[in-house]
Amino acid sequence: MERLDRRLGALTATPMLVLLGLCFLAPLAVVAGFSVMPSKVFDLWHQPDFSAYAELLRQGYWKSLAWSLGMALASTLILLVLCWPLAYAMAKVYRRFTLILTIGVVMSLFVSENIRLFGWVLTLMKGGLIEGYLRHWTGTGFDGLLYNMPVIVFGLVYVYLPFMLFPLAQGISMVPDDARQAAADLGASRARILWEIDLPLAAPGIVVGCLLTFVLATGAVAESKLLGGQAVIVIADEVETAFTYGQDWPLGSALAMVLIAIVGAIAIVGVNRVDLDAIMGRRR
Amino acid sequence: MSEKTILQIAGLYKRFGDFTALHSIDLKVREGEFLAIVGPSGSGKTTLIRLFVGMDEPTDGTIWLRGQRIDTVPANKRPTCMVFQSLALFPHMTVGRNIEFPLKVAGVDPAQRRERALELLDLLRLPREYYAKRIHQCSGGERQRVALARALAFDPEILFFDEPLSALDFRLRKTLEKELKDLHARTGKTFVYITHSLEEAMAMSDRIAIMRAGRFEQIAPADEIYSRPVSRFVAEFMGEVNLFPVRADDDGVIRADGLALDPAVAARLGLHAGEAGTLMVRPENVAMVNRSDAGGAAPEITIGGHLRAEYNLGSRLQYEVEGPSGQRLTVETLRENRFGGAPGDAVTLGWTLDRCHVIHGD
Amino acid sequence: MEPSRLSRAGLLLYGILTLGFLYLPLVAVGFASVSKARYLSFPIRRYDTGWYAEAMASDTVRDLLLISLKVAGLVTVISMIVGFFGALAFARYQWRFRGLFQKLILLPIFFPQTVLGLALLMWFNALGVVPSWHTAVVAHLVWISPIATLIIAIRAYSFDPTLEEAARDMGCSTLQILREITIPLLMPGVISAGLFAFLLSWGNFPLSLFTTGADSTLPEWLYAKMVAGYSPLVPTVGVLSVVASAVLLAVALLAPTLVRLWRRNAAD
Repeated sequence: MERLDRRLGALTATPMLVLLGLCFLAPLAVVAGFSVMPSKVFDLWHQPDFSAYAELLRQGYWKSLAWSLGMALASTLILLVLCWPLAYAMAKVYRRFTLILTIGVVMSLFVSENIRLFGWVLTLMKGGLIEGYLRHWTGTGFDGLLYNMPVIVFGLVYVYLPFMLFPLAQGISMVPDDARQAAADLGASRARILWEIDLPLAAPGIVVGCLLTFVLATGAVAESKLLGGQAVIVIADEVETAFTYGQDWPLGSALAMVLIAIVGAIAIVGVNRVDLDAIMGRRR
Repeated sequence: MSEKTILQIAGLYKRFGDFTALHSIDLKVREGEFLAIVGPSGSGKTTLIRLFVGMDEPTDGTIWLRGQRIDTVPANKRPTCMVFQSLALFPHMTVGRNIEFPLKVAGVDPAQRRERALELLDLLRLPREYYAKRIHQCSGGERQRVALARALAFDPEILFFDEPLSALDFRLRKTLEKELKDLHARTGKTFVYITHSLEEAMAMSDRIAIMRAGRFEQIAPADEIYSRPVSRFVAEFMGEVNLFPVRADDDGVIRADGLALDPAVAARLGLHAGEAGTLMVRPENVAMVNRSDAGGAAPEITIGGHLRAEYNLGSRLQYEVEGPSGQRLTVETLRENRFGGAPGDAVTLGWTLDRCHVIHGD
Repeated sequence: MEPSRLSRAGLLLYGILTLGFLYLPLVAVGFASVSKARYLSFPIRRYDTGWYAEAMASDTVRDLLLISLKVAGLVTVISMIVGFFGALAFARYQWRFRGLFQKLILLPIFFPQTVLGLALLMWFNALGVVPSWHTAVVAHLVWISPIATLIIAIRAYSFDPTLEEAARDMGCSTLQILREITIPLLMPGVISAGLFAFLLSWGNFPLSLFTTGADSTLPEWLYAKMVAGYSPLVPTVGVLSVVASAVLLAVALLAPTLVRLWRRNAAD
């Protein structure tokens, strides 16, 4: 049977491997190739150089990168704190409401990110849902809440909430009740149980949730464009601009490579720490 | 049961990486017998059964079924069938479709399939209405019977069982053990049953094969294994036992630590000069001989000690006695023969020669 | 350790507020879509469904719907098939490169989608393929079929491998096992993966942006309009798009019940 398993494993993986090989790994190789081409060329038949990377350092793109990473980190931490009680309740407290909440959150994911962020624009803008009604009832309004850095973080928190919530809930549901009960029985305080029992046992879920949120938020662009206006230019936006307005594929590729390297390193380190089989509910 | 061999294995090896699960196993299964393979977990019994049905391939060695080599035949081409520990009933099919499944695979037409499935429901004493029930509507015992019916529908040459009763509660297990034994008698099929529970094996099987660390220790009828084990391992595996190291000196004098052994009796133990062995006696064959009403035959072997504790086993009582060199001895007696002593009392234990057994070798 | 009634009620309230937070922007979009004014400002003074009539009559909107539908439909079918086999390799079979395969599948999900879209654009350019909605299907697949794989893999993990062994023991070939045991048991997972695939493709924007070429999907068009300044058609078409996915979801969730009812009636 092991021999058969081995053969069938390789066989059933083939369609996915072909898809990812041709449409994921190959394009990445192309990006890597373009990143070492001279400025503003549109094919790969040139003498490789590192001018794009040099350009990247000269132009101060590191600021955009720092903004992206900083806002991603902030939104990850905020989400961890916001989602923990909710995830805990989903795993241990709610009964039927867990299903309702799950369906509700998943359905919100099916609505295009654009439309949801646009909804926030309508809600937060001057004359929007909040300011408009406030002025209507109290007679005094304000300037609207859009087009600054905190609102971008707010947008990231909003968009990536499900990506933190579900892994956390899954992680917490892996904490056995009797371990918590035993700890309480042995005199541990609530804080102590959280620190000694919940956090270590739910660690795989925490790692996956933080990883997903951080990595996706680092590469996010719509939040800063729609909610933030031009308050902050994020790295993914710079990549896009270099390709479109700048028409400089090598520069865009070099920027993309930097982003890929950071995101990829974090993702690979994180994923290696997690036993996927265990977190997804393996039986044997 | 005939003496004809239906399944034979020779020199069977199975290695997983560095670990050797089976060391050169030989076995002959007789046509129509109920053979139990018993061993502690990790002894290789599940590995063995997986080789029998073709779910794994042996590293070396051969398996013959009625004289035909089958070790290279894949599982789906072997005329054998297994009842899984998990039962492996298909949750998306009804009871009827589960039972019919092997017939469907074999290409039997639907009307005949249904008829056979209903017959099998009768055979397993399940109501015919169960044909349309779903698996999750069946109780543990009913599922057990459905799994048996499905295996019988396959009409295998040999039916293998991988501890199918281990997940059930005690009472249901006892009932099903009897049913299984009865089913064996009625169908006349060869059953090979794997279990870690000796009791289960004793209750059902004609012969028992004891496995330990990838080898067979002893293959014999239950009574023989119980009263004349070939090794300390088998003796201890078969339940509570008192063991005493014995040794014959080069001049033929028998020494046994703490045992009062008459030279005439010792000579009949069958130890050769210079040989070491273990004298084994089961707790129920030991009596407290300092009681006035000891009764029975006069003990030929005795040992002194101090009473430690009395345990109530229900129909019997068990006494724990500390021997002269501090070893723990066990005595079992029927309730009505209660000893009545207090812990710390000096006692003498004794038994007759025909109730004990000498295991040769260290 | 049972939480007190008060903390239970507090957590319930928190959950409800979270749902409210998630859906509040859609409420704003909904109100905006029925405002008569060309320049939106709350509170809305005059309600009107005129924008819906206009959107329905528009050829552009119809083309957008058609392209979005074609892309999402194809992505659904292909990712169900690729994801089914991928999930078996991911969760069921013990093969040598399983660990590596599991990590490879996670990478596209983690990957910044904008960058992935641009990378694909360059790749298609290098291959000499002209981008159209067909290439958008490929782009969506790179992101969505790994997600489909994970969804089906959850089902595959809870699946007892001895069921397949039992079927093989009773004479089934590998293909028969697939048809009789594996596919029926994984079907619920495959269907929910298909649902996810459709809805995620339907709403996706960052991948479509660079890979559709001259064609355009609904989210792309909405984005272009949003960035260009306020257009009253944006909330209207947005609501239509949300309603379309809600209808699909409702049908998918109700379908099993309807089928059961129909079967019961047929059996009587």
